[in-house]
Amino acid sequence: MIKFISSICIISLLLATSVFSETDEEKGFRIAKESYESTRGYIDSKSDQIMILIDPKGNEVVREISGKNLENMDPDDGDKSLIFFNKPKDVEGTVMLSHTHVNDDDDQWLYLPALGRVKRISSSNKSGAFMGSEIAFEDFSGLDYRKYNWKYLGEENYEGEMCYKLESYPKYENSGYTKRVGLTDELLRARKIEYYDRKGDLLKTIYFEDHKLYNDAIWFADTFHVVNHQNDNSTIYKWKNRQLNIGLNKKDFEKSSLMRLAD
Amino acid sequence: MIEYLFQRKILIFFLGFLFHASHIQALDFKAYGFIQPESSIYINGEGKHGQDNYNTSLFGKGTFISYLQEGDAKFTISTIGRFDQNDNELRYLDFQKFKYEYYFDDVTLKVGNEIVFWGVNETFNIVDIINQSNLAENISGTKKLGQPMTSISYSQDYGTFDIYLMPYFRERPFSGKEGRPRLLFEVDENSITYESSAKKRKMDFALRYSTVIDDLDIGLSHFYGNNRTPVLSPNPLTLKFDSHYPVLSQTGVDIQATKGPWLYKLETVSAKEGSERHLGAAGGIEYTYYGIRNTQSDLGVIVEYAFDDRNDNPFNNEGIIGLRWSMNDVKSSSLLAGYLFDMRGNSNRFQAEFEQRIKDNLKLFLDLSLNGSIDGTDFTYQFKEDSQITIKVAKYF
Repeated sequence: MIKFISSICIISLLLATSVFSETDEEKGFRIAKESYESTRGYIDSKSDQIMILIDPKGNEVVREISGKNLENMDPDDGDKSLIFFNKPKDVEGTVMLSHTHVNDDDDQWLYLPALGRVKRISSSNKSGAFMGSEIAFEDFSGLDYRKYNWKYLGEENYEGEMCYKLESYPKYENSGYTKRVGLTDELLRARKIEYYDRKGDLLKTIYFEDHKLYNDAIWFADTFHVVNHQNDNSTIYKWKNRQLNIGLNKKDFEKSSLMRLAD
Repeated sequence: MIEYLFQRKILIFFLGFLFHASHIQALDFKAYGFIQPESSIYINGEGKHGQDNYNTSLFGKGTFISYLQEGDAKFTISTIGRFDQNDNELRYLDFQKFKYEYYFDDVTLKVGNEIVFWGVNETFNIVDIINQSNLAENISGTKKLGQPMTSISYSQDYGTFDIYLMPYFRERPFSGKEGRPRLLFEVDENSITYESSAKKRKMDFALRYSTVIDDLDIGLSHFYGNNRTPVLSPNPLTLKFDSHYPVLSQTGVDIQATKGPWLYKLETVSAKEGSERHLGAAGGIEYTYYGIRNTQSDLGVIVEYAFDDRNDNPFNNEGIIGLRWSMNDVKSSSLLAGYLFDMRGNSNRFQAEFEQRIKDNLKLFLDLSLNGSIDGTDFTYQFKEDSQITIKVAKYF
């Protein structure tokens, strides 16, 4: 009996060491990868998006866009997206096409209705404010584990649920951040990420809310609530009418189609 | 008048088509536009030809897009118009777009008025040729007239071919007698000649191949038809300019390389008018500093140069140094400023455009155009006294 117990002890010890032999960096990477992979398989999607920009006095400004996304099945390359700008009215009719890449600059084109012209634009401004909001371009691909180095910091209780606490450091040299500290729950959904600026100071927090299970398979947060701790602005970013796997035409996501999609 | 009738014919044709299509299914459409009062002050006082030192103008644009046949087709109307206090050539309505498009898998078929832009440069768009420039609007020719056409576009992974057939030519509008800036003489609308015997009914033809190879955007184009730029010659009897439109055969190449914050741009043309061939090249570099001084602002620096081997071309040796400052704030404030100079050193001009959203549906524009020293032999000498400040407020709906 003692022999049996001790062998169980040894086996569990072996199991434990095999788990514990995973470093914090490896564990962080593994969770981030699993979390990212849980959002894959959407094939394509479309949605309407509303942003409410709120200044410290409580004044609100509304932005409206609609978007289309195409999943890239190549694990070494990024997805493609189209953004149609609707509000403010002075940018209505503008369309942006992005081909994202994992290890390279994205390709971006802008259709400008006033000039009837498609312009290839630099995509180096990933840290720039998106439409004057507290969201940066790089936040949209913020769950892509390949763009960061990871570290597991432990478990933390958040809104009554156990979450993994993960620290991540952007690999991209022009990132606006030096560090992010995030909480990912047991369903592998990001719940909250704190962003530290280039000087290492806390810049903002994004709270991921209104999680919804799409197509019985993929969780998406339908609200990003962004609070900037330095200028006290906040942004509420909402996704509406999100639909996955709807058979969008792959060719819509090419430069040559921008004129078709525009006015 | 003929032009008006022609446009009306197209209108009737399209409306007939639209109603025919729309009774089959509910109309899925969107419409938007703006109206924009403008006010200009000419800081050198009265013009060379006695024009007013103050001008007001009302500009507007409306766009209507209807999606037909379950998204396989689209009908678009985009109209601009202006009513100007002083310049009667700036009282117009133009159908920039008035087109029906049908989408097959790899092919897009398009009939009607369209705006087509070719090229990559910010300032010297020498490859761009499809649409006529409205020089009454501005002397840099960036405001266009809608071009009637039938076009077919064929897209594959290796690139896109566009074919354009343009059955109707649009003459270039110039500033009228009271316009500022204006040419030495008025352009006589009753004294226009063409090299082509078909005149404005000549079937102009264009072909373009464009492709993207990694960070390169490449376009090859050929145009054969009435030149959009007329040859103006003063008529001693009427004291107006007679204009002559030669037939132009122009091959163009435009390339942009996008390398991180660096954009490298080049446009070249080889063109033949009559028996004379000329070459032109224009290109430049654009670099953007993102997040200057740890703010959300971006600062872009643009340098462009244009060369043309014709000595009488006003842009045969021109350069521009420009700055583009985008604040990326809630008001989308931005400033574009450029110093345009003749490399022979005898004329220069400074231009600046500031814009800022004042309210959700209201945007303010401030334009400044200052002429510097201009040599008496330079083409722009006739505009020397036309430095101006313009304020515009656009109301979007």
